[in-house]
Amino acid sequence: MKRLLVVDDSKLMRDMVAACLRPLGAVTFEFAGSGLEAIERLALAGFDLVVLDLNMPDVGGVEVIEFVRSQDRLRALPILIVTTRGDDESRARVLQAGASGFLAKPFAPAQILDEVRRLLPSSVT
Amino acid sequence: MTERVDLQEFIGGFVVEAAELVTAANAALLEIEAGHAEGTSRPKAVRDVFRALHTIKGLAGMVGVEAIVDIAHGLETLIRTADRAGGQLSRAAVEVALQGVRAIGERVRAVSEQRTPAAAPPRLLEAIASTDATGDAPAVAPQVSAELDARLSPSERAQLANAVAAGAPAWMLSFAPSESNAARGVTIGSVRSRLATLGEIVKVAPRTVTGPSGAQLGIAFDILVVSSAPRETLADAIAASLESVAPVLAPPPPPVAQAPLPAGPGAEPSTRELAERDDATADVVPIGRAVIRVELSRLDELQEQLSLLTVSRFRLEREIAAMADAGHDVRRLRQVADLQGRQLRDLRRAILRARMVRVAEVLEPLSLLVRSLARSSERAVRLELDARDTELDKAVADRLLPAMVHLVRNAVDHAIEPAAERRARGKPEAGTIRVACTEIAGNQLELVVSDDGRGIDRAAIARRSERTIDHDADLLDVLCGPGFSTRDVATRTSGRGLGMDIVRRIAVSDLGGELRLATTPGAGTSFTMRIPLTISIVEVFAFACGRQAFVVPVSAIEEIFEIADAGITPPSAPGGRSQVSLLERRGRAIPMFSLGRELAIDDGAAARKAMVIRRGGEAVAFSVDRMLGRQEVVVRAIDDPLVQAPGIAGATDLGDGRPTLVLDLGELGLAARERQLP
Repeated sequence: MKRLLVVDDSKLMRDMVAACLRPLGAVTFEFAGSGLEAIERLALAGFDLVVLDLNMPDVGGVEVIEFVRSQDRLRALPILIVTTRGDDESRARVLQAGASGFLAKPFAPAQILDEVRRLLPSSVT
Repeated sequence: MTERVDLQEFIGGFVVEAAELVTAANAALLEIEAGHAEGTSRPKAVRDVFRALHTIKGLAGMVGVEAIVDIAHGLETLIRTADRAGGQLSRAAVEVALQGVRAIGERVRAVSEQRTPAAAPPRLLEAIASTDATGDAPAVAPQVSAELDARLSPSERAQLANAVAAGAPAWMLSFAPSESNAARGVTIGSVRSRLATLGEIVKVAPRTVTGPSGAQLGIAFDILVVSSAPRETLADAIAASLESVAPVLAPPPPPVAQAPLPAGPGAEPSTRELAERDDATADVVPIGRAVIRVELSRLDELQEQLSLLTVSRFRLEREIAAMADAGHDVRRLRQVADLQGRQLRDLRRAILRARMVRVAEVLEPLSLLVRSLARSSERAVRLELDARDTELDKAVADRLLPAMVHLVRNAVDHAIEPAAERRARGKPEAGTIRVACTEIAGNQLELVVSDDGRGIDRAAIARRSERTIDHDADLLDVLCGPGFSTRDVATRTSGRGLGMDIVRRIAVSDLGGELRLATTPGAGTSFTMRIPLTISIVEVFAFACGRQAFVVPVSAIEEIFEIADAGITPPSAPGGRSQVSLLERRGRAIPMFSLGRELAIDDGAAARKAMVIRRGGEAVAFSVDRMLGRQEVVVRAIDDPLVQAPGIAGATDLGDGRPTLVLDLGELGLAARERQLP
């Protein structure tokens, strides 16, 4: 059973991401409503992949990526960025910070499913 | 495997969340407008508007409402400019933003009424695009050290400056998340929302905690907050000690009402001015401070030291009284002693406060519990938690939670009817479980767990238990019998009985409180628990003496040994009530008293064990019949003056439901020595 952490300050967005990824089957979803909560959860528990929004209160997605990558045990954690800012500059900045994948909102369910399948280590299904 | 996911099924959720965000954006814009009227900027409100619009745009995109995406995008761009420039949003920009948000709101309503929302009006989009977002914002001078300032965005810097100018001090808090904190509901999320009620959060940043060798030990959050709350309250909010709350800078001195005295040319700055200057620079604390968390046992230790201090203060009182009796003038001595007494009381209060946790946070895990129980039992259940601002001792909280879990679980599993049954009874489909907590007189908390379920069937319980049940009190008695179960309704979560025996043990035996029950068939049940706000937990030795059990704090005992192994010189003057033997121990002679005789409960049985205590450097031993074990107990003070006696420190329950006295052997030893030894 893979553990996914979905981070977004919008509950609806978190629910939509989880709905899009439901075809993965053997995964459990956990949710965080802010970058801070995400950092806390990642520090306290093991996850197989993070779906991360960029614009959140206090600590934005880029800061989360940078912090996660500074942690020895989280260097290899796949991070998929999902953001409304789909421009090339944002994409470059996010990937440089250490994101594993980048998806612009709005996206179709199949798109995020493909991305997550690509990033999940020894992918399910 | 392919499963088609249709995001249109989220349109209802979109309407709800978008409407909330529209409300939030409006509120923040109005706050910015109020700031204009007062001549101050509201950088945080600007950030809030930005985020609301950004989220609306993202969600609208996902569910395909392009008109909203277009308007939100325009507004987002406008406000981002203001945010980056330090959080000043011009009057014109507020005006056009309010129009834009109204246009979004209209389109959200259209979606909710299943109408096609009108496209974004081009004139509105033009107006948004051509508005100058920022006023002529003055640059804000840094408030804090360059190192800290570098971590702040222009908007955060302005927010800090505003808040500080309003007269509140700034603090750097360090919160260390941990599994144990998370288990009791203390997370960065709960800490953040709690701090938000105490002041203004300017910045939260994660930090890696490293050991001396550079190894990564964990993480902590640095929280920059401007708050007038006392330092203790802030420490409490992050479940940490005072060391985790550091002043970053003092508030500016209040404006001087009168013209200051003219200083002569070349006058030296006063020491106070110098001190203030130092405050502003030297007190700036770097963002990467060490985190200190205090284990509860250390607070216990502190409390133990305090009780020793209290005892020595009583002795001081006695000495002063003796001097006064001997005709000495003790007025000044008494003044000092009174002052010390007040300081001791304050110290006790401060220590107790350090141990208090918020009930709301203690009970937070119940929400998740109800959610998951309701799902697995396929019932709709709503939990209402109302703990207001109540607090209680951490030690009580740790013992309380399992009892609350039992009560809430029973309510979901046994009280709330399935939806169809509730409908048939004319009740709302979703059942409600309410957990309310209020502080009542006598340093007690009252916790009520009530439900609007089926109530308890007295007749059925009476049949099963073969007892007559006339009152709710009888009913509670039966339910609290060990392992009592209503079998036919047993489920996989509470199949091993209702656990009411555990609930009562916790409430009554462990915490020294009360448990009551009230139930109305068809309408619901409520359990009321009254418990003390604080308890003291002590590790004790239990022993038997003259057919009774007693306990004594482990910390009071220096040594325990078999009397048979020690050389004993019998009492030199036989016949007295309290006879002293001399015990030879490692070349020393220790006076040994028979505890049975001291307490006048001697039954003639041969004492087999000796417990050595040390009192003011002098060792004293007591002989007792036999040891019963070592355990942690809750000690309750004996309030009844008829029962208060020297040498009795309180009462406890060893789990057999009978009160057991906690002895203060030091006090008894002192009394015995004074009587026996010249």
